[in-house]
Amino acid sequence: MRWTQRAFQTVTTWVVVTVCALLFVVALVTADPLPGPGQAVDAAARLAILAVVWAFAARTVLRHWWSGPGSRLSTMDPPARLLAAAVAALPERRREWGMAMTAELAEVPDRSTRWRFAISAVRATIWLPPAGGWPLLTLVAAAVVASVVVAGPAVGAAVPGLTVFAVAFTALVGAMALRAVVRPRRLRLPAPAPSVLVVLGVAASIAVTVIFLRREPTTVKYLPPADAVFLAVVLAVCLGAAVTAQRWLGTNRRAARLGAGAGVALALCFLLETRIDTTGLTDTVQGLLTLPLVPTAVALFFLPALVATVADRSFRSGVQAAVWTVITTVPLTYTVWLPEGLRRHAIDGTLLDGASGPVGTNLADARWALAAILLVGLPLAVIIAGSAAATTRPTATPAS
Amino acid sequence: MTRLRRPSAQTVAVVFALADTPAAWRYGYQLCQQLDIKPGTMYPILMRLADQGLLETDWDSEVPAGRPPRHLYRLTGSGRALATELAAARSAAAATPHIDPKVGWQGA
Repeated sequence: MRWTQRAFQTVTTWVVVTVCALLFVVALVTADPLPGPGQAVDAAARLAILAVVWAFAARTVLRHWWSGPGSRLSTMDPPARLLAAAVAALPERRREWGMAMTAELAEVPDRSTRWRFAISAVRATIWLPPAGGWPLLTLVAAAVVASVVVAGPAVGAAVPGLTVFAVAFTALVGAMALRAVVRPRRLRLPAPAPSVLVVLGVAASIAVTVIFLRREPTTVKYLPPADAVFLAVVLAVCLGAAVTAQRWLGTNRRAARLGAGAGVALALCFLLETRIDTTGLTDTVQGLLTLPLVPTAVALFFLPALVATVADRSFRSGVQAAVWTVITTVPLTYTVWLPEGLRRHAIDGTLLDGASGPVGTNLADARWALAAILLVGLPLAVIIAGSAAATTRPTATPAS
Repeated sequence: MTRLRRPSAQTVAVVFALADTPAAWRYGYQLCQQLDIKPGTMYPILMRLADQGLLETDWDSEVPAGRPPRHLYRLTGSGRALATELAAARSAAAATPHIDPKVGWQGA
């Protein structure tokens, strides 16, 4: 198969479709009680829409990547691609070493020798000695394992029901610490304030979950192990993206600030929506007060991706702004949701959507909101950035 | 106190190969072919030697059009001193059958 852009796009689409199909099968098999035919068809339709959105977003990213760094791939043979991928993952301090191996591969003539060279070189990049040496890595690994072992029982004793979350979150943060030891990167924090904001948001999310479960201990059943792991993964991803300064994320100050600003505004918007007291008002006045909030929130969510793309004439900036919007909005919205859920339920026994229900439902609803922001909001923001980039020309680089 | 560490047989072979023509720049793949060492072993050795200041490196820009510049290696003064030291130790080992294996070499 020739790895043209079209081939990559086809494979990407099939990967997205396969993942969505697998998710559907897993959800169907693990559902308790099993859904009826109507519900299953409804869920399949929603998942199909999600698959289309993700496939479209992934193809948009691929198209832009192909016009940049990906274009080199079309001229490479499989061994060169394999080595290029391994070299791209090398830490900066060893990038020169990767370039040296890549250059030498260009001098290797026959196909089988090229494969042997590439595989051997890739093996070397995988077993690269950690920057701090093996003793430091062993020490950090031991600390991570000890933290994971201790976190579960310790947190479980203080807040029953949070054991799985504590273990999963500690393990994920520990994995990030290990990665930092194995593959350290030069710290790039173009806009420290957004990073600090996300860290505080994640800390606050954990704090409000603890407060919620301590105040309403019977709601533990609304945080089953799978959902606890999901929450841990989402919060750890937000934390990791904000502080590990990924190359693809940490290069644009404007994008970070736009995304973080939108996240704060969205959380405030949500807080306002939960606090507006419409009691005694006519339906018209209620509508006038609450209806603008939804389009405002939607606009706020997608605006950073659009503005960053247009301002920098760069799809990459738009994607960075979209990611910053998501990683800020997720923890801040969750932080607002749980205390407001408790407050509202204490007032009139309702949930934040106005329906009646047990207070623990707020835990499940908040997680659904996080999932919606991630699974629907992010790909749509990427598509918007892609559309904006298509209408703007890249900035010409001045000749030096 | 300087740490004494015994270099691997392959590291010693690389140092000797480079010491054969100390003034000449060598390519990594060229050394792989000469010594029959896999690239996945050769490059970490070259990387370590360079980190320890025993090798100097440069980029060869005189390559055919469309090809990336190649990395070049040759021993530094310390590297040549290490090669001399290793050669002396090898001669001593050949002359004395029961050499103390704890006696190592500085650097690599």
